[in-house]
Amino acid sequence: MRTPRDIALLYQRYFVQMLRNPVWLVVGFSTPLLYLALFTPLLKHIAGSAGLPGSDVLDGFLPGILALLAFASGSGLGFSTIFELRAGVTERLRVTPASRFAILLGPILSSMTLMFVFDAVLVAAGAAFGFHVHWLGLAVLAVLLGLLMVMMGAFSIATALLTKEISGFAAIVNGINLPVLLLAGVLLPISIGPLWMRVLAHFNPLYYLVAASRLLANGHLSGHQVWQAFAVLVPLCALVLAWATRVFRRAVA
Amino acid sequence: MADAVLVARDLRKSFKAPRRPPVEAVCGVSMEVRRGEIFGFLGPNGAGKTTTLRMLTTLLPIDSGAATVAGYDVERSPQEVRARIGYVSQLGGSDELATGLENLVLQGRLYGDETSAVRRRVAELIELLELEAFADRTVITYSGGQRRRLDVALGIVHAPEVLFLDEPSTGLDPQNRANLWSHIAALRARGTTVFLTTHYLEEADELCDRLMIIDHGEIVAEGTPRELKRQIAGDTVLLSVRDQDHAAHRAEQRLRTQPYVRELSVDDTTLRLYVEEGASAMIEILRLLDSEGIGIQSLTVAEPTLDDVFLRQTGRSLRDAGQRPETEERRA
Repeated sequence: MRTPRDIALLYQRYFVQMLRNPVWLVVGFSTPLLYLALFTPLLKHIAGSAGLPGSDVLDGFLPGILALLAFASGSGLGFSTIFELRAGVTERLRVTPASRFAILLGPILSSMTLMFVFDAVLVAAGAAFGFHVHWLGLAVLAVLLGLLMVMMGAFSIATALLTKEISGFAAIVNGINLPVLLLAGVLLPISIGPLWMRVLAHFNPLYYLVAASRLLANGHLSGHQVWQAFAVLVPLCALVLAWATRVFRRAVA
Repeated sequence: MADAVLVARDLRKSFKAPRRPPVEAVCGVSMEVRRGEIFGFLGPNGAGKTTTLRMLTTLLPIDSGAATVAGYDVERSPQEVRARIGYVSQLGGSDELATGLENLVLQGRLYGDETSAVRRRVAELIELLELEAFADRTVITYSGGQRRRLDVALGIVHAPEVLFLDEPSTGLDPQNRANLWSHIAALRARGTTVFLTTHYLEEADELCDRLMIIDHGEIVAEGTPRELKRQIAGDTVLLSVRDQDHAAHRAEQRLRTQPYVRELSVDDTTLRLYVEEGASAMIEILRLLDSEGIGIQSLTVAEPTLDDVFLRQTGRSLRDAGQRPETEERRA
């Protein structure tokens, strides 16, 4: 089989590039830890009030940060796509017989590996401050986060290929990111919001994942939100991947 | 043509532009490239060179027309074509944070070869293109000339039948340019067909067995550099006569009727003659003027340049035409 071999080659290529670019590693590690360090203290004082859960705040907050991290890692991939377009790298890869799907997926899986390393650091740091670790729930959550990351990565890379330049790409990605994140209840649960917000959130795929992540992180594997999240993300992820591969095949890169 | 390795028929490509009529980048380009030759695609920036190249290398869908490269149809069997061609874009596209060696091995493996075979081939290429001194350094530390040679090595790591080079010497100083030319000539000696685009006349003249001149998306001339120069301008002979007895006028009268003279212009005592071939014309001119008793001050022959060819075909000098920004074409 050609494709798995190509995926492995391009995975390795991207991974080496990431490791040799320490700025990315520093930013990648510090962002989630900063959320943890600078947002959690605020939550401690309002926990138990205004409809928020009163128990350990990290149990409700940390899963949201994991979702945020997957979302952001995926949607940021297009920036390196634009860089590679401008440097002629994309063209050099596209002129080889390497599988188009592999050219797309290699970098996504590579970044995903790094994201899981960040996730592990985040969970370890959280555990030190009172986050209750439920291994099985986290394992299922990892699958969901992986799906989200693939979906967002493929979307971001394809958008980068179509816009071809940083300003147009950034406008689209930022324009989508903010409302999606705010309407997903990443930082605070949507359940404390007004009715219109709760209704609107149901049209947001990320909302289902965030809801499931809170359940899973607390060890509840059977809640209906978990199944809903899979039911939303699996087809959506397949759809976006198919579209992005098509863009890669035809895109005037 | 039996030994054609690339055949293109009536290729066309236009690009949509917002609120403007579509830009016709390539309007009906046909060509045949023979196995083992260096084929040059000469034209000013924005003439459609890169767009044509990108269609031939499967990177850009073809609007209409057809192309066969290395025996396979570009649109119908892109994978087969990709396996048999190498392409070095203007940008190169090597991974800056990887070493030259890592770049080469990865590229070789993307063509499906086993690591051991790739490593053997890469070792050969490092020697061929003289990359030994820096192959283990990351590409970001390379000079322009070193980077270009790595780019070429990346393009031939799988021993392609045809190597496409897009403006290979752009941005190189004369010394590195000459060095690159000798490496490209060495590739031909090893049997690789080279298809290169350039807007440098010297490059086309020095390197190419045959070439094609493109302007505004259309082919305006085709042939060997020598044929092109001869068919269009022939040689230029500069004749200076002694200023006595209306010598210039008499010489003009006599020479104008000679069959080997295509065009003639007079400036004071200097006659500029366009002839088919300078060397034989000079003998005839000497005989004629001697029999007429016209004294000669000097007689020199100058070969026309490809710029004369371009000027003749398009009405513009290639050097002037090259002022349009390359971004027009890169918008592809």
